[in-house]
Amino acid sequence: MALLAPYTKIPEPNTATILLVESEEKFQSRLADAIVQRENDAIVNVRLARRLPLPVENSETRPRVDLVVFIVNLLSEHSLQVVENSLSHLRSDFFLGKVCFMVTDARCGALTQERLLSVKKLAASHRCPLICAEHQTEDGVAMAASRLLTLLKVSAGLSPVATTALYLSTLTRCTVPSELDED
Amino acid sequence: MDEQARAILQRILRKLPSKKTPSTLRAWGCLSAEQLEDLDYTQPKWLLLENLISKCEESGLRLKDVTKLEMVYHIENPNQGKWHAFKLTEPEDEAVSVDFTQFKEMFVAHLEEVVQHVSIRMKKQEDGAVWIRMAWGDNLTRPNHLKPTYAVHYLQTPYVFILNLSAKHKPFLYQALVLSSRHTSINEAHLSGRSLTAMRDLLMKQYQQVFPNQERTLKERNAPPSHPNIEKEHAESAERTHQMACEAFGDGTVPKLETAVYKLETRYRGSSNDTLSDRDELFRGVVKFSSPNLLESLRHCVSTGMAEAPVTPLLSSITQKGRNYFVIAEKAPGATSQTPAR
Repeated sequence: MALLAPYTKIPEPNTATILLVESEEKFQSRLADAIVQRENDAIVNVRLARRLPLPVENSETRPRVDLVVFIVNLLSEHSLQVVENSLSHLRSDFFLGKVCFMVTDARCGALTQERLLSVKKLAASHRCPLICAEHQTEDGVAMAASRLLTLLKVSAGLSPVATTALYLSTLTRCTVPSELDED
Repeated sequence: MDEQARAILQRILRKLPSKKTPSTLRAWGCLSAEQLEDLDYTQPKWLLLENLISKCEESGLRLKDVTKLEMVYHIENPNQGKWHAFKLTEPEDEAVSVDFTQFKEMFVAHLEEVVQHVSIRMKKQEDGAVWIRMAWGDNLTRPNHLKPTYAVHYLQTPYVFILNLSAKHKPFLYQALVLSSRHTSINEAHLSGRSLTAMRDLLMKQYQQVFPNQERTLKERNAPPSHPNIEKEHAESAERTHQMACEAFGDGTVPKLETAVYKLETRYRGSSNDTLSDRDELFRGVVKFSSPNLLESLRHCVSTGMAEAPVTPLLSSITQKGRNYFVIAEKAPGATSQTPAR
């Protein structure tokens, strides 16, 4: 089983590649448009996928992936399952700052709270950040795009501030309050 | 104007949206142009009803004409109520040459022979559909026009669609249909739904079908990414799945079905539950899919990967066989395969 590895390819100068994984493909394309429009200095490539593993045919032409974003729609159980199944297709050194989770519809009712908790646990156990996004308005999409760009630039080594992806993810990683804290 | 006529008029007026009322009354053709001009459609419906009744009484219209209005209403709004589809089988040699007048004469003759008091009205539309309205009575009572049965038959095709038929009158109608269209028998087509046009399109294959090996010019293809830097990893496999989904369910606008029902009469075969498996009795269950537009939802499920592609024959039989009620029975005692039967 070929795992997606973070450092097996040589990076292009001034380029960053982000991989958006979403089983429903709706938020992905708008987010992709927002990302490429916001970035003016570096070249940003966006790859869209429905799940991992990625098709073997594209592995030659695919550039080095700097950040993998798993998008979970909290209203759909299927979307969470796809993400859980995809996690095993990434090599473990990806999780040192190059993976991020994004959820949509986190404000909609009681059912989403349970799923949000499962996604939080997933993110916490993999030491990755979790971003809540609002996909229904232009502003929400733009905000999500700019947050992802910040993370992406650090992971790709393009950040003006001297910092590493691992350091950033230690600061931003998701934590789940332990059972003892809940009263 | 008698009670039944009033009641029918009231019912029609209540169901008609205000915008359609003028055109329907005009299509009726029983009121003169001045009378139609006189009616004020912005009035509340009960007032409009009273005016309409007084105009009808002026013109001396009776129950017979009101039932004509009801028929016009149903012809213009065919997508309500629950229609059931039937198929005439084993045509005799003369079946292909039956024309409208012949059909009408024979139908009326046969039905009036067996049912003492029945009121029949027939109309042929330009698209070849023959609409039949029947109000049933029996030896002692006059026809009840408040519970009419509607049947639509497309001449030269074996299909009949029926609305509101009670079990008591079924054999009479079936016999009349079979004899007047020169077939030998009539069978249930196991297709029912709200929309007559959808059922007709499905059975007569009048929707956008897609065949394997066809040039890929599907309407709903995902648009290519907007920016050269954006690339889709799964573009090829997504297209293939979309193609398979469209082959199973059609492309573009599909006939609007609301439900699909699968009745299971099979044995439980899962390994997880000791009490249920390994029994000789059948595990009876019913699986029902409902949706505002079932075929479109199923197509979407398949093309986004929620349901597996290639499409299972259980689902694709809905379009291939034109039915939405299936009974899945055991093939043979102890056999492991399941086939959609009957």
